[in-house]
Amino acid sequence: MLSAETIVQSLASGLLMGLLYGLIAVGLALIFGLMDVVNFAHGEFLMTAMYATFGLAVLVGLDPLLSAPLVAAALFVFGALVYLGIVRFAMRAKKNIGMVQIFTTFGLAILMQGLAQFLFTPDYRSIANSWLGGKTLSVGDIFLPVPQLAGAVVSIATFGLLYFVINRTDFGRALEATREDAGAVALVGIDRNRVFAIGWGLGAALVGLAGAIMATFFYIYPDVGSSFALIAYVTVALGGFGSVFGAFAGGIIIGLVEAITAMILPPSLKSVGIYSVYLAVVFLRPRGLFGSI
Amino acid sequence: MTITRRDLLIGTAAIVTTASTGARAQPIQDVVIGVIYPFSGSSAQIGVDAKHAFNTAADIINNVYDLDLPLARSAGLPGLGGAKVRLVFADHQADPQKGRAEAERLITQEKVSAIIGTYQSAVAVTVSDTTERYQIPFLSADNSSPSLHRRGLKFYFRAGAHDEMFSAAMFDFFDALKKKGERIETLALFHEDTIFGTDSSNAQLKLAGERGYKVVANIKYHANSPSLTAEVQQLKAANADVLMPSSYTTDGILLVKTMGELGYKPKAMVAQDAGFAEKTLYDAVGDKLQGVISRGSFSLDLAAKRPMVGKVNDLFKAKSGKDFNDYSSRQFMGLIVLADAINRAKSTDGEKIRAALAATDMPGEQTIMPWKRVKFDENGQNNYADPVLLQWVGSKFVTIFPVQAAVAEAVWPMNKG
Repeated sequence: MLSAETIVQSLASGLLMGLLYGLIAVGLALIFGLMDVVNFAHGEFLMTAMYATFGLAVLVGLDPLLSAPLVAAALFVFGALVYLGIVRFAMRAKKNIGMVQIFTTFGLAILMQGLAQFLFTPDYRSIANSWLGGKTLSVGDIFLPVPQLAGAVVSIATFGLLYFVINRTDFGRALEATREDAGAVALVGIDRNRVFAIGWGLGAALVGLAGAIMATFFYIYPDVGSSFALIAYVTVALGGFGSVFGAFAGGIIIGLVEAITAMILPPSLKSVGIYSVYLAVVFLRPRGLFGSI
Repeated sequence: MTITRRDLLIGTAAIVTTASTGARAQPIQDVVIGVIYPFSGSSAQIGVDAKHAFNTAADIINNVYDLDLPLARSAGLPGLGGAKVRLVFADHQADPQKGRAEAERLITQEKVSAIIGTYQSAVAVTVSDTTERYQIPFLSADNSSPSLHRRGLKFYFRAGAHDEMFSAAMFDFFDALKKKGERIETLALFHEDTIFGTDSSNAQLKLAGERGYKVVANIKYHANSPSLTAEVQQLKAANADVLMPSSYTTDGILLVKTMGELGYKPKAMVAQDAGFAEKTLYDAVGDKLQGVISRGSFSLDLAAKRPMVGKVNDLFKAKSGKDFNDYSSRQFMGLIVLADAINRAKSTDGEKIRAALAATDMPGEQTIMPWKRVKFDENGQNNYADPVLLQWVGSKFVTIFPVQAAVAEAVWPMNKG
């Protein structure tokens, strides 16, 4: 039953999916690392990006590949506004600050889902024709779907760029400094609120990029974020809370583990593998593989 | 749900108003029927369409229409002095526990006389347990799991067919094709992991064994999966003569897209309805589904023989923008059957409605379905609900089986191997 071909195909599909999981999760990791806030509306950010991509494709006829930077930019603005308009105030809570943040972002998630259902109806949408959608690259007997392949390339490029931004630019240093000690950076003239707002913008832009790519091969509906958000939380916890590159590694591990589990166990149990690895990490190395807390 | 001061005020005001008017004129009370569907979450679109179907039925019951349907030619329910049917909608979000809670709320707070639901069979289990406890009839409009009517419930009724009846029609169809010389030996089952998918695949496994078909793959997957790549690889490796999915809309779309990406073109596909009855699935991936066959209980082709079907469909289409499909037609018919029983019971008492439902005998001509009649057995199942098989050709469904209902020959196989 398990031919070499099936195994290679499974691993290749797992790797492609994993790179995409990493790209979806990195925004979450970035925001958490920066200010210890878990964004429970992360899945809804993804949903918003997918609807934006769909809207641009249907109304303006823009291919998702071209609209991806626009969607990412729009999500950047949206993320920054969410911080400035909502999260900033939630962080001022005197008591139970953790709970306040959870309820704030969770409430935002419910609001966004409700709004999407109200505005776009709960119908399932998908982009019928795009440059990438429905195309497949076959190497021998191995099939690599072009949309996922593009997602993987975008994911690798994005992580490369992030590495550069965080380690080689002034902004990256400001980000690192704020994450180390948000109080002390004010003394050297870094505006904490500004860094946080940009952090939220960046986090949202990253998931926006993932959403634009996903819109080429996944169906879109108001609740689409939830199944991916759950995987994103596990990815971030696995890679290490707050570690941007942990999200990259975590995503790949989850993609591969999922593929391997589905080869061995009945496919309905394929998430068992993911959560077993996650549990093992939590028991043996609670801060995650690359975590610093 | 929490009760705010405002809810309480409105509620009190309503009670006071009804109480005072009741004392004065003894007006005819509305008959309240609870409708439990997913109005949010991943299958919210089903609920939205269902609402239109039920409102169409309530409209026909409450007003005068010249249609050959029970209660159409009178305004309201004559048996209750012309009382109107009022629907109260509740959202179960495809969650069995929420279904249970909403059923309880409808019965104790909204004082409904009966409940109709639920799309997902898994939710029908908890809702019908609750209605049984409160001795209120539950009409299972569009649930298809065979185990639902085998739990010894007194207040459970299903006018439509269940998945063993539907699957039997599929195997009758295979047998007929084989007689004509088509080669059908191997089957691949692909089903989701709640009661709908498992019941469906169990029925199909049993039938395959009895009639000598080999099941080369039986793949159970987790509903609403972010990816079905591994599953489709196994289907592709098995490359059966017929692929038989039992999937809701989301997974159906992803299945077809993933098959395209992995270069798998099944020789033939015969679906257990659900997602494969939904217009949205064909809007999304219809081009890859030319020749797919789905079981159903409704066919618009019937309108040629029975013009009333077309007229009712037009009423529904004016509300929803869609034609009736397998689900909306059964939802519509479900409310008519329920209201007919309440009318004959001349009462809103649960036990009396139950007795009237059990005595139902509605000829097929007075329905919009290709059914022989509506008559429930001791388990509350209507065994006269003949299923049909429909094939997606061009951009619409054509009835291809059974022969007496068919308007065209089946195109077989779907993809030349």
